[in-house]
Amino acid sequence: MLRLAADSGRVDVLVVGGGIAGLQAALDLADQGLKVLICEQQASIGGHMIELSKVFPTLDCASCITTPKMSAAAHHPNIEILTSTVVDGIEPLHAGHRVRVTRRPTYVNNDKCIGCRLCEYACDTECVDPFDASLGATRAIAVPFTNAIPQKAVLNPDACGTCGTCARVCPTGAIEFDQQPETLEIEAGAVVLASGFALNAMTVKPQYNAARSRNIISALTMERLLAPHGPYGRVLRPSDGKIPGSIAFVQCAGSRDASIGVPYCSRVCCMYAIKQAMLLSGALPIADITIYFMDIRAFGKGYESFYQNAKAMGINFVRGKVARIVPAEDGDLLLHVERTEEGIGAIEPVRHDLVVLAQGMIPEWHAEACTPVHPGPDGFVAASSLTSPTATSVPGIFVAGAAAGPKDIVDTIAEAGAAAMQVTRWLRQEQQRPVEALV
Amino acid sequence: MSDPFQGKKPEQPGLTPGCQRCEEQAKVGVYICRCGGNISDVVDVERVAEAARQMPGVATAKVHTFMCSDPGQQLITEDILAVGVNRVVVASCTPFLHESTFRGAVARGGMNSYLYEHANLREQCSWAHRHDPAGATEKAIRLVSAAVGKARCDAALDQIRLPNHRIALVAGGGIAGMKAAGDLAACGLRVVLVESTGALGGQLLGRGAVYPTETDAEHIVAGLRKEAEGNPHIEVLLNSRVRSVSGFVGNFQVTIEGRFGPGGQSATTSLTAGALIIATGFHPYVPAEGEFLYATHPGVVTMPDFLQMLQSAPGGTRMLEVQGRPIRSMAFLHCVGSRQIDGVHTPGPDGRLNTYCSRVCCTTALQQEIAVRRRFPETAVFDLYQDIRTYARGTEDYYRTASEAGVVFFRYRGEEPPVVEAGEGKGTRRTPLAVRVKDTLTWGEELRLPVDLVVLATGMVPNAIPELVDSIKLPTGEDRFLQEVHPKLRPVEVSVNGVLLAGTAQAPMDIRETLSAAGAAAVKAAAMFAHEDVELNPYVAEVDLSLCEGSGQCVTQCEYDGALQMVDVIVGDRSVRRAQVNPGLCVGCGACVAVCPQRAIQVNGWRLDQYEAMIDGIVAEVAVGAH
Ligand SMILES: Cc1cc2nc3c(=O)[nH]c(=O)nc-3n(C[C@H](O)[C@H](O)[C@H](O)COP(=O)(O)OP(=O)(O)OC[C@H]3O[C@@H](n4cnc5c(N)ncnc54)[C@H](O)[C@@H]3O)c2cc1C
Ligand SMILES: Cc1cc2nc3c(=O)[nH]c(=O)nc-3n(C[C@H](O)[C@H](O)[C@H](O)COP(=O)(O)OP(=O)(O)OC[C@H]3O[C@@H](n4cnc5c(N)ncnc54)[C@H](O)[C@@H]3O)c2cc1C
Repeated sequence: MLRLAADSGRVDVLVVGGGIAGLQAALDLADQGLKVLICEQQASIGGHMIELSKVFPTLDCASCITTPKMSAAAHHPNIEILTSTVVDGIEPLHAGHRVRVTRRPTYVNNDKCIGCRLCEYACDTECVDPFDASLGATRAIAVPFTNAIPQKAVLNPDACGTCGTCARVCPTGAIEFDQQPETLEIEAGAVVLASGFALNAMTVKPQYNAARSRNIISALTMERLLAPHGPYGRVLRPSDGKIPGSIAFVQCAGSRDASIGVPYCSRVCCMYAIKQAMLLSGALPIADITIYFMDIRAFGKGYESFYQNAKAMGINFVRGKVARIVPAEDGDLLLHVERTEEGIGAIEPVRHDLVVLAQGMIPEWHAEACTPVHPGPDGFVAASSLTSPTATSVPGIFVAGAAAGPKDIVDTIAEAGAAAMQVTRWLRQEQQRPVEALV
Repeated sequence: MSDPFQGKKPEQPGLTPGCQRCEEQAKVGVYICRCGGNISDVVDVERVAEAARQMPGVATAKVHTFMCSDPGQQLITEDILAVGVNRVVVASCTPFLHESTFRGAVARGGMNSYLYEHANLREQCSWAHRHDPAGATEKAIRLVSAAVGKARCDAALDQIRLPNHRIALVAGGGIAGMKAAGDLAACGLRVVLVESTGALGGQLLGRGAVYPTETDAEHIVAGLRKEAEGNPHIEVLLNSRVRSVSGFVGNFQVTIEGRFGPGGQSATTSLTAGALIIATGFHPYVPAEGEFLYATHPGVVTMPDFLQMLQSAPGGTRMLEVQGRPIRSMAFLHCVGSRQIDGVHTPGPDGRLNTYCSRVCCTTALQQEIAVRRRFPETAVFDLYQDIRTYARGTEDYYRTASEAGVVFFRYRGEEPPVVEAGEGKGTRRTPLAVRVKDTLTWGEELRLPVDLVVLATGMVPNAIPELVDSIKLPTGEDRFLQEVHPKLRPVEVSVNGVLLAGTAQAPMDIRETLSAAGAAAVKAAAMFAHEDVELNPYVAEVDLSLCEGSGQCVTQCEYDGALQMVDVIVGDRSVRRAQVNPGLCVGCGACVAVCPQRAIQVNGWRLDQYEAMIDGIVAEVAVGAH
């Protein structure tokens, strides 16, 4: 069934995850003539990056940077992509690895679907759109989002009322209500873990009361609100649709805190908060924007001047750890924070009408549960040594991007290139291994 | 709306009289991108499409939310097949981002990918004229009209193929250079590694234990050095520098000067390399004399100095001793030579400030503070910082451990840096130095810390490589580090094809980041060398021998060595001098075109008739208003 594995029964490299790390690693490998299979659990490749609005420090629109890589991978003769496909086991063999994957039913036959969206237009069951941080609506059967790759409809079984309209309008007979999960075993010479990150729950810090107010939002939700094609087309606060006039960013709301099991720094939150603040001050020129932080970690190339520009734009930077967030009756939020710089204690709370929490980054996939790789103390895949940052504890299994610890896009892309290089070296070395050693 | 077309109106808009190619049946497809709102929030894209449909030669004009997405690109390929579109104009963001994306789409539709033109409606219209939607829309229409005019004159072009010399030259033998060399050699490629000093290892030589693993730097360097020095594919040239580079991707001529003559004499050698990897690294910032009393007071040292001091400090005491002097208390001062602010800091000799963060100094300082506190518990340690940037994996622990080890932190604002001054006090309580700081952790109180030693956590400055920068025309940023094409799309490439960046020559990085960057550069070179030939874009000058009379003015005008020369050619039965272009070296700047009296030299893809068509397109009577 795999195009690339048709001759040899195996692919050279299997990449777990089609985020920017997986895409870049795949492209760098495929450009050298290696056959690469990308397995992505979501219905589209692109990872978190395709959800973002604009990206620091260049403020390019995220889609504009992600789509060319997605498209290049999708059209590369040496790359094959399986979406809605979860990797759930890797077993090292004498030569290479056996990878077990589960293809989740999408109830649409991808070989037949032509992405015409007639099903989506005909479907009258609406449901929340997970791509738009569940703020917007989509149909029970739909192409995941405008620039998704592949452009194939996916049916949401939880929302679908099985009325059969989609099957009737589909010009190619692609709807298959009886699809079942399918397990495949794929042999690959080497594996790249590019399974990325997740954010820890909004409620990890109960003192922030995120469960009690819809106006305490995740930074990823803010990305969608700021995206030019986002759910509302502009920034409104979720509880009542009010245009926010005073927005607070609470940094380290799930990182650098041993009490919640995330003692490390999530590395991107300072910069995305600054970015979001800048975009907000463009979208809502009269809004007050405050970033509550412990240390501003603008360490990358061009990041410090990005931070200084934000200061010059009038964004308030307040050093202080927010102790408590208390929802007020009108939907506003009261922040208790000690502002050491100004010598103001935590007694007098500050009122804001929208609060963005910088949650911590944690691994999306715990590879150690079903593969022999070791995690580091932070739970992310461990590197085998300081000088081999992309090698894992298992020869032939490599790691790149946020799967190896929080990382911004620039560092992710560099690391993905490095992983591709390590894979190439390893495959060449394996090729040269005397045949007896293989048996 | 007032008539914006007061200039002369060509009789047949968009059609260059006498242009053979325009007469041909061009069927132009115009594709306008909303860019998810980035364009369409300002520019009325539907109106642009409507106007385009009325332009001569346009067969279809469509709008899409993201032209660069797969469905967007599919519009193009479908129209090529279904509508018979044979020229494509995409009106979207800057061609810098997506020209190659759309060329790919055009090629997938079965067309020559150079029958394609790009109009920039984002950077040049919606972003530039955010507050003038009508003006932005009109400009968009005119740019599309120009692109359509040019597209109608487009001729099919082929990429130039030239042989690829599969040898990589790596400049700089720090960990970045050694890593890239080792990676390429492992792929069976030949590498010449040029290091200006007498040893491989760069700034890590003698560094001692490094964060975050506390591995001895010597161990890291030795591993990489062994791979490089013992490798039959790698030639290591020590005490050598690249003097000059000419040529182009696949075929760079490199001159190296070094002490590799007999008996260590200075000599030069040259070689041909297909790719260049620049890994020339950094040096620690050297404070100006008097900056925090540096070089005027012996108790003020830089971090590299202190690393040596601590390594050689005698043990057996509970208090650190430096040159026989007990250090009762000492201060580490962050961000020296980094995060400098205009008006607060004095620019360096070149008039520039180091406004960037050097990434490694915070963790290095904490690491050293912990070492002092552990080995010498009676030495008090103060840390004066703006923000502690222990962002890297495994480094936040250093911050926590330093606090636990009794390091006392003071946080200053960048605008009010601490002041180092001569100490006072009497007898044994006298310290040679004192640091004054406004501490924001205690509400901006001004404190005066008596200390015996001040360590300046100095940042990173890129090494000066004028030979390379000048001869390859390497771009550098405001911060003097080498500048990549795009930090996300092409992070290790520079605007000169075939030149790649590795490590701290590009930006401050720690060891892991440096090694990743080197691997990323190596993989790009490996992919380049996977092909027998290099492919170059065909936008180079071409001489029409039927018109050239051999005036030689083009050669005089050309600024690119070897790109143009006069050669003998046989015309009829006599030998004449004519201009000849070397397509590998020509950059298509067009300086030659401007001076040729016969109009015998033209840049392919940008011929004069195409410029005329574009200008006609811009001034043409296009349907601007919503009549
Ligand atoms: C709110 C926010 C804003 C940000 N803004 C910026 C910014 O402006 N600039 C910037 O540089 N960075 C930014 N970042 C960081 C950026 O998102 C990451 O650097 C980047 O997404 C990391 O890419 P990745 O491919 O490693 O991981 P991901 O994007 O997480 O991709 C991993 C992919 O692997 C898939 N996957 C996981 N496990 C499996 C499995 N078992 N089987 C199959 N597939 C699997 C996932 O579905 C996912 O698609 C931001 C992050 C956040 C949270
Ligand atoms: C005080 C200090 C402490 C540090 N501690 C740590 C730590 O604990 N952990 C960590 O991860 N990182 C640390 N770093 C960072 C680490 O030093 C760098 O990441 C690493 O050295 C970068 O390697 P490189 O190869 O890019 O550059 P370099 O080490 O600078 O090597 C560049 C090489 O190029 C050569 N060269 C220069 N110009 C030319 C030319 N024109 N031709 C030929 N050769 C040339 C130089 O001689 C040098 O050998 C520290 C940095 C500093 C300043």
